[in-house]
Amino acid sequence: MKSHSVLNMALLPGLLCVSALAAAAPVKIALVETLSGPQASTGLTYRSAVRYAVDRINADGGWHGQPLELLEYDNQGGPAGAADKLKAAISDGAQLVVQGASSAIGGQITEDVRKWNLRNPGRELIYLNVGAEAQSLTGEKCQFYHFRVAGNAPMRVKALVAGMKQDGALGSRVYAINQNYSWGQDMEQAIVDAAASGGYQVVEKTLHDVGKIQDFSPYVNKIAAARADTVMTGNWGSDLLLLMKAARASGLKARFGTVYLDQPGNIANAGDVALGGYVAQAFNAEAAGEAGAAFVQDYQAKMGHAPTFIEPQTVFGVLLVGEALKHVPAGDGKLDVRKLALQLEQASLETPMGTLSMRAQDHQALLPLAVSVVSRDARYKADGTDLGFKPVKRFTAQEAAVPAQGTCRMQRPD
Amino acid sequence: MKTRAILLAAGVAVLAAVPLMLPDGLVNAAISMLIAALFACAYNLLCGYAGMLSFGHSAYFGVGAFATIHAMNALGGAGLLPTPWMPLVGAAGGLLAGLVAGWFSTQRTGAYFAMITLAIAELLHAMAPQLKSVFGGEAGISSMRMPAWGLTFGSTVEVYYLTLAWVLASLVLLYLLTRTPLGRLALGLRENSQRLRFLGYDVHRISVLIFALSGMFSGIAGGLQVLSNESANYVVFDTSLSAAVVLNTYIGGVHAFLGPALGAALVTFFGYAVSDLTQSWLLYQGALFVLVIIFMPTGLAGLLALAGRFVQRHGLRAAAPGAGLYLLAGACYAAAAIFLTELLQRLFSQDYRSLAQAAGAWEWPAVSLFGREWPPLGVTTWLVPATLAVLGWLFWKMAAAAVGRLRDAAPADRAPAAGAMTERRLT
Amino acid sequence: MEHLAIPLLNGVVYGLLLFMVSAGLTLIFGMMGILNFAHASFYMLGAYFAYALQGAVGFWVAVAVSPLLVGAIGVLVERHVLRRVHRYGHAHELLVTFGLSFIIVELVKLFFGNYPVNYRVPADLDFAAFTLGGLDYPAYRLFMGIVAIGMFVAIYLLLSRTRVGIIVRSAIHRPEMAEALGHNVPRVFMGVFGVGAAMAGLAGAVAGAFYTTSPNMALELGVLVFVVVVIGGLGSLEGAMLASLLIGVVTSVAVGIDATPADLLVWLGAGDLAQDAAGILSLKISSLAASLPFALMLLVLLVRPSGLMGEKE
Repeated sequence: MKSHSVLNMALLPGLLCVSALAAAAPVKIALVETLSGPQASTGLTYRSAVRYAVDRINADGGWHGQPLELLEYDNQGGPAGAADKLKAAISDGAQLVVQGASSAIGGQITEDVRKWNLRNPGRELIYLNVGAEAQSLTGEKCQFYHFRVAGNAPMRVKALVAGMKQDGALGSRVYAINQNYSWGQDMEQAIVDAAASGGYQVVEKTLHDVGKIQDFSPYVNKIAAARADTVMTGNWGSDLLLLMKAARASGLKARFGTVYLDQPGNIANAGDVALGGYVAQAFNAEAAGEAGAAFVQDYQAKMGHAPTFIEPQTVFGVLLVGEALKHVPAGDGKLDVRKLALQLEQASLETPMGTLSMRAQDHQALLPLAVSVVSRDARYKADGTDLGFKPVKRFTAQEAAVPAQGTCRMQRPD
Repeated sequence: MKTRAILLAAGVAVLAAVPLMLPDGLVNAAISMLIAALFACAYNLLCGYAGMLSFGHSAYFGVGAFATIHAMNALGGAGLLPTPWMPLVGAAGGLLAGLVAGWFSTQRTGAYFAMITLAIAELLHAMAPQLKSVFGGEAGISSMRMPAWGLTFGSTVEVYYLTLAWVLASLVLLYLLTRTPLGRLALGLRENSQRLRFLGYDVHRISVLIFALSGMFSGIAGGLQVLSNESANYVVFDTSLSAAVVLNTYIGGVHAFLGPALGAALVTFFGYAVSDLTQSWLLYQGALFVLVIIFMPTGLAGLLALAGRFVQRHGLRAAAPGAGLYLLAGACYAAAAIFLTELLQRLFSQDYRSLAQAAGAWEWPAVSLFGREWPPLGVTTWLVPATLAVLGWLFWKMAAAAVGRLRDAAPADRAPAAGAMTERRLT
Repeated sequence: MEHLAIPLLNGVVYGLLLFMVSAGLTLIFGMMGILNFAHASFYMLGAYFAYALQGAVGFWVAVAVSPLLVGAIGVLVERHVLRRVHRYGHAHELLVTFGLSFIIVELVKLFFGNYPVNYRVPADLDFAAFTLGGLDYPAYRLFMGIVAIGMFVAIYLLLSRTRVGIIVRSAIHRPEMAEALGHNVPRVFMGVFGVGAAMAGLAGAVAGAFYTTSPNMALELGVLVFVVVVIGGLGSLEGAMLASLLIGVVTSVAVGIDATPADLLVWLGAGDLAQDAAGILSLKISSLAASLPFALMLLVLLVRPSGLMGEKE
């Protein structure tokens, strides 16, 4: 693990000449994430997880004895910065780009990677998407060198609906409130689509501006007026927090079904407001049993905090790449990225939650999910409070999977 | 005059040689710097020359960008124009948007003008995600550069030369514009628009023209960015971009033609380079902004001009020790500030705090910084920044003394003080 | 009727919160001609200081002390930073406050981290004041409204009925004359800046517990505060109150309106026209709720740039 240094850049011309003559170049993984600015909290979380995973792969021997090198780039919070840093990463020799904090940036990166690969056969790179869950990335924007190891809206909603229904918390009237951008719109569509199997009626759907609303009480009024039993939302960050706080302050009786309730800081800030809220998670330490406990302990020892939120899915995703790397022959010492991609789309890994595997059709990973509820009885507490996520229902990867989208027409390299 | 021509020619030569000297990643950074420089100079036409401080200039950059991306996608992806001529579409978009917005904004002056421009940009920013067909939602619209004129435009180097050609041409045009009667009238707008009105000029018409031209060149910059990134996203309408161009312009210096270009290039490079080095780079950037604005109100260009005059008066050999001491002082202060900030950032980070809590009150683990371990309760840890700060103060005093001695030795005619500036007030 | 009552009430309280933050900004602009971009950061600092102190001295003392701390910072900023750039013109003052806003946000992130912090409503204020339409109305909202109104009354009385107020008002209109009469006008400016900052700090201390306290607070509120100040009239306290209430109510009520401008056209008989002119017209007003303030601002600027209650140019 090494961070990109300006001294490096200054000496690069000279080094480039020397390194061209060098033998086996190590595998270089570039993390192009939001490490500063308003959305930095999420980006830094992804960074921790990727660092941990790369260290683990290296401890296991790396690639044919060669350690993986992690280069870190700050995309400065926007697609333009991401495009710049991606080009810097390519220029530094990265073969794999990891990113997850924003679907907008994910969209930019996947397009840039596709164009680069088209123009530079023989120097391809892979985009490992560890968190951008917009549908279009495995839909009309799907491409051979993009792999998503995170969930997507339909998967999350399917699990959430089944979990809440089992717990008897779903009710028959559901209100869908989401942020007005691709992820929120995907969630809204998924909630509507799952109505039949969930046995509920979507009484109303609302989309609101992202991160601009301080006062959610008008929305709470609408929810109350619609007499909804359950509120389903894909909101994250302050949008989720403010919505829940406004609901609690008004004494709204509806249950919350969410995707991002386990974001660090939410439980601490919401306190008892969050009690009884449901969340569809990719990892729940209690549900993952002994293997899960061992993973949590190891992560805590190495990174200083327990893995939460998107960290476990990111770790397993990167470890999946490590698994695929094992099957790529050493050849002339340089990694053949095309071969890695072919291996990756067949790869599978045993994780504490179950089997994680890649679906070759659209490069969406099939990952196990768990639905949990915020309660005082949970074994693992969140954010230093006395509340935690108690698992309600586990789903294997097959159970959680949703079919590939028809809009994905992947062009495979012969 | 001749030295200036030689310097300019040398500058252009260096710029042309960049792809031969630097790796692709840095060439790409250079493209961003060039685009930022053009945007800042376009903005300065309105702000520095005509004295109208606009807070929403990203709107015209953005309109130019989206016009270009739609042109690139037109005709089934073949593009409305050959790739090298694409920025013309950006220019047209920026010009049109500038005309419309300018007609409304220039009806007011001062702070109200600034607020109108801000409102226009914010309105665009708020409406853009709703108009998916035009602005593409939060993933934006993407496109691909088509080959033209025998080149594929697939490599960064080709894009760099295309950008360089456009930026140089635009800068030349902008400079020539400032030399035309319209450009001179713009200066009149800044100094005393009332008098201009009495002289019989239609002040509103002139303001709109200047606004539109500034918008046009901003649109070219937007088009160039789209050509380089092959995508356009509505985040380009964000206030942060509008604010960035204002900051770049003032840091570079509004009174020199190339001042904003210099400021923009340096700030863009700073962001590019330092963002990968430390998490607190925004703090450093903010601190540098404030320091430059307080201590160098004429901007970096003004500082260079001052230094140039100083060297001219006293000779290089005499001026060198003073300058060197100032630089040393600045380096010491900077080192102290950086050390302190990085140390505090690690001490207050979530992970360290949980480690410290687990370890107990007097056994806080050491913080690893710059390749060494620093115990937070150790004296050396705090002595280092303190000593550096004191050293910086000493060097500053020595430098001031050296410069003072030179000044006293020189004859009574003094150059105008660096701080004085007549600037159009906002109200 | 019930259905309108709650959005109206919420809108009013939200508007009062906006007033608390924008009052300081409009006063500062009216007196010194400085558009203080760092004003929203003072709001954030108020919340963070209250959070930091709450553990040690309890909620009430924290809420009382935090504005004083923020006011002190405001005074320091005016004395050491703004005064130095004053002579270079308004653009420089503006830019310096902009740079300061960056510094403050980053320092907060440095010391308190990137995530929202656990600043919550204290237990003794966490109850429902009354029930309306089946939903509780939290007492804390009323508390926020009362604090805002109290602040308005106090500042208004201070400006119009006390000697200090007269001096301050004369310093707005005729600073040279006031100085000639022997008043320390720079000190007045410093005091006004400090008081403005303290007002924003109070707003943060009070609102941060109800809404989230995170490093992005300043951004979220920042531009809206400018909109309020512009609509109300730069320099007018009454205008800021009116504009805040207007914006608060409009945003609150708009959320409940699912109609679109196209629907309005249908009502007028131009339905087919609306169908053809898709795009903007088919957007729901509820989705546009957060964009309405900017449209209002543009309208005001073009029609009556001095704002609703500002002085005519």
